[in-house]
This record gives sequence, structure tokens and C-alpha cells, in this order.
Amino acid sequence: MNRKPALVALGIGIALVASGCVAPPPSPGPAPQMAREAALLETQAAAVAADTFARLTEADAALDASLLGDRVAGDALTVRTAQYKVARSVSDAKPEVLPSEMQALYVSAESSWPRVLAGVSAQPGDNLTPVVSLWVQDDIASPYSLRAWAHMIPGASMPSMASDVTGAAQLSVTESSVAPTPQEAIEQYVEYLRAGKGSELAAAFAPDTYAERLFAGRDVLSTAASGAGGAYSDTIEADLENAYVMATADGGALVFAPLTVASAFSVSNAKVSVPAADQALVEGTLDATVTHHYRDLIVLYIPGPGTGGLPAVVAADHHLIKVTP
Amino acid sequence: MTLRTSALVAGVLGLVLLVVGLIADSRRPDADVVASHRIDTPVAVLAPEIVGYEPLRRIAVEGDGEIVAHTARTADAEAWLATREATEITGLVTWEEVGVRAYVAPAPAVEPSPSPSPSASPEPSPAPSPSPSPEAEAEGEPEEPVDTSSTDHWRTTWHGQGRLAVFASAIPAGETFVIHTVNGGPLGTLELYAERDPNDAWITPLIVWGAILLIVGVVGLLYTLIDLRPWQRKGEEWLSRRSAKGEPKEGSRRARRLAGAQLPEVPLDPAPADAVPADPATADPATTDQIPQADQKGGEK
Repeated sequence: MNRKPALVALGIGIALVASGCVAPPPSPGPAPQMAREAALLETQAAAVAADTFARLTEADAALDASLLGDRVAGDALTVRTAQYKVARSVSDAKPEVLPSEMQALYVSAESSWPRVLAGVSAQPGDNLTPVVSLWVQDDIASPYSLRAWAHMIPGASMPSMASDVTGAAQLSVTESSVAPTPQEAIEQYVEYLRAGKGSELAAAFAPDTYAERLFAGRDVLSTAASGAGGAYSDTIEADLENAYVMATADGGALVFAPLTVASAFSVSNAKVSVPAADQALVEGTLDATVTHHYRDLIVLYIPGPGTGGLPAVVAADHHLIKVTP
Repeated sequence: MTLRTSALVAGVLGLVLLVVGLIADSRRPDADVVASHRIDTPVAVLAPEIVGYEPLRRIAVEGDGEIVAHTARTADAEAWLATREATEITGLVTWEEVGVRAYVAPAPAVEPSPSPSPSASPEPSPAPSPSPSPEAEAEGEPEEPVDTSSTDHWRTTWHGQGRLAVFASAIPAGETFVIHTVNGGPLGTLELYAERDPNDAWITPLIVWGAILLIVGVVGLLYTLIDLRPWQRKGEEWLSRRSAKGEPKEGSRRARRLAGAQLPEVPLDPAPADAVPADPATADPATTDQIPQADQKGGEK
């Protein structure tokens, strides 16, 4: 009979130990794979675009660039500021219409900065082509800001890009996986613009209306300057530091390259005059020489290896920002 | 060992099992636990592996003012946290204790440079001034609000006033979870709601089997404690009375058996039609009318 209490006590002890003996918390496992690795989800990219165009709408109504905030910066801010200045001076001049409806947004896969976001708008009208917009985020503290835009070349089409699941890789301008490299393509295209339609480099690019209009304007202005005893010259420079490259789905590259164009027109024994729209942008007093300064954006598609085809400008715009003597 | 002894042993064992089971049941640990920790920094961060931590069910923060939680790519969260004082949640040390450590931003990847340029300065830099600024100490540094100027990198955002709770299942896998106060003050109390497996499936069967064995033992104990011999005697007497000899009823089977009457023996060989059986008891039933009844009765007597 003395064993029963001992047995009961033993059982109670076992129960106490067993009931209090819960397995310790497990150690955290490896980090799960992210479902969408792009820098921005589609909703984030759409929110950036929507906020940008909301600011643009507000600023356009007031013709006040300060209302653009930090959503519009760089060349886009410079160009828009110039357009507001013209619109305030000329009654029938209005800022360029930028459609807010996007038909495609191309996000980056980049983990470092700067990062880019590109958008293609819906077609704004029968006579206008969709607008390609470029946003850039310089660092984590800065928002994506609209840096430039350009209308698509008539007949051109944007290449296929990576989805927002993975995002498109951002490439360096010296990326050698595409031929020519983005830097070579930009430099060759600028050289082609400088040399004119008779250049040997014309065969290296698909025909585009941007170059054709530049050449046509050059011919007209050269003829006019010659008739006035003056001269016309233009200088075209590529801004490689602010060029961005995104990889396309076919292994090629979509290059966003800003260009600086300065068109100098001079006459002899006379004073040049400019249209009323340009007058608002004149800095200084015009005499026998006038130089129009443009900040352009070209969007150049370099096809992937083995896909054939020539590098082609798929979007480009010519934006007047300043007029100087 | 008799059946009664076995029952008693089973009863004792059942009692032990029942007691053990009931005690264990009273101390059964909860499956749902809450671990909390006071966060003194304005920001707390949970890496993707902590967000996906198997036992974790909910993350809650209770503090002053508006509290905001976000998810982001790990690279983006690291860049955002690089300039902020934050506490990193590392999981559960125990079921009641949250593992924390000061967040340290990972060093950015540096490409090796082929031309290192050592720049040791032979001149020691001037010693820092040992005189503290009494004004700065007296006033104290005001808490600098967390800069939220750019929110483009946040993928999902939750807002709460004074308290914010987010289910772990609502946080996309692989994304880093960041919680911070809007006013830049200390975050407050962070709670991790977790679910654990207490390993108590053995308790209920133990109670059931203990109860069954105890019942068996109680029955055996009853047989031990209660004197059943009077009822046994009565039963035996009843049985003996049932089997006591008396006068059988006339014509009953017992009467016939006692009279020595037996079933007639059926001859295998066909007997002649006029033959008289040698023994009336073995006569053909068809000829039993030939058996004198007086003899049968006289036989009984």
C-alpha cells in the first residue's frame, strides 16, 4: 500500500513535466522568394503616373511650374517651364497635351539607383501619336519624377518589354551584349544627324521622321540665311550622362537619350526677328544672330542579337527651351 | 492472480492515469501565445524570413499617435532604413519573448578596385574639443520626424491610430515589413501573436483510459468490501430447492422415466405382421394398444 502514493506522485511529476514541456519556437527559415521582383508593381507604377499627371493638370491650369512639385524634374521641368512661359505670353499658345491614360508601363528590375520607369500613353488623337514618358528615381528618398517625354514616330512600334513580375533590366550605355552598344548607337545617330541625310550612317538606322524634319528644317534655314547674307549652323550633342537603357524582351535595348540642339541663324546688315511664340523665350536682345536652344529626347530601339533589323528611333520630340542672341 | 486482484490492480493504474491526465489537462499550454517587446526606436523592421515565420499569425504595435506599416522590396527597405534608427525583429527567443536587435544596414556591395589608394595622413587630426555645449544638453534634441517624402517604394501600406495590427498572411511573401511612427517618437509595444503546437494529444486518451480502468477497479473493490456469502447461500438454497425430489405428476416425462419406460426400439429387420414383440416397451407404436396399461402403472409402484 505504500507504493500507491509514490506511484501517484510519480505520475503527477510526469504530468507536470510533460505538460510544461512545450517545444521551443522554431528558428526562422530561409527568406521566401518574392512573387514580383520588379522595382515597382503595376499599381505602384500607375500611382506614380497618376500623381504626375495630376500635378501636370494642376500646373497646366495655372501655367505655374512650381505646382509641378517633385514629380516633374530635369528636362521635363525645363521644357514645361518654357511652354508655360510661352503660354502666358501668347494667348492662343497652350502647353503641349500629355495624355494621362497609359497603355503600357515598363518597370525596372534594378535594386540600386537611379531607376527608371517608362510609359506609353494612349493615342491622344487621330493626328497625334502616343507619348513615351520617362520617369527616374535618383535615390530611395526621391520620388520617381518625369524627366522627359517624346511622341512616337509615326509607324514605329515599341519593342516587347519584361512584365512587372520581373521588371526590365537596366543596362549601362556601354552594355556590350547588344550591337551596337547604346553609347555607340547614340553617338552614331548624333553623327548621322550632324552629317545629314547623305551620311553613310543613314544606312545604319531605320528611317525616322525626326531626322527627316531636322534635315528639312536645316535646308530651309540654310537657304533663308544664305539669302540674307548670313549663315545657318546647328550643333547637336548627346547627353550620355542622363541617358538610360532598359533591356527589351528580345535581348535588345531601349535607349532614352537626351539631345541638346542649338540652331544658330545669322544675317548680315539686318536684325533677326523670331515668331511671337519664341519671343517669350528670348534671353537678351536679338541682333543679327539668333540661336534656338532645344532639349530633345530620342528613344532608340536596338534589336537583340539575331533578331535582325536596324536600330530605330521609335520616339522623339524637339522642344524649344531658350532663344539667345 | 484472481480476476478480482487483476481488477484492483487495473483500478490503481487507472487512478494514477486519471490523476496524471487531469493534472496535465489543468496545465495544458495554450496554443495561441503573445510575445511582446517595448520598441524604443521610431522604426521596427521584420525581414522576409520573419514575416514568413511559421508560427507567426499577427503583428501588432501599440503606441502614441499615428502608426504606419509598409511592405517593400528588401533592397528598398534596406536603403530606406540605412539613414534611420531602427529595431530589427529576429523572431521568438521563447514563446513569450521577442528577439530583437539594433538594425544595422548591410554594407553596400563595393566593386574591387585594382588601384587602391592608401591615404594615410602623417599629421594627426586636431583633437575634438572636450568642451560640451551646455545649451544643447539642457534643451535636448527634439525628435526628428521620420521623413516620408517619397512613398513610391512602399508596396502595401496600413495606417493605425494608437494601435496597428496586421495579419502575417496579409504580407506578401518575400517582402520586408516596416513599421514606424509618423511623429518620429518611440514605436511602443510590439506584439507578436503566434500559434504553437502544445503536444497535448496524449492527455485526453490518458483521462479516458484512466477512467475506464478506475471503473474496473471500483467494481473489483466492491467485491472485496461487500460480504456476498449470504447472497451466495441464498442462491445455493434456491438452486437446491429447485432440484429437491418430490412426487412427479402422473403421466409426466419424469414419471415415465422413473417407471423405467423407454423409447421403443425400432427393429431393423422387417417383422412378420402377426408377430408379438417380446418386450412391450420396444413394441411398434402402431401396436402399443397391445401393451397392458395396468402393468405400466404397477411398474411405477
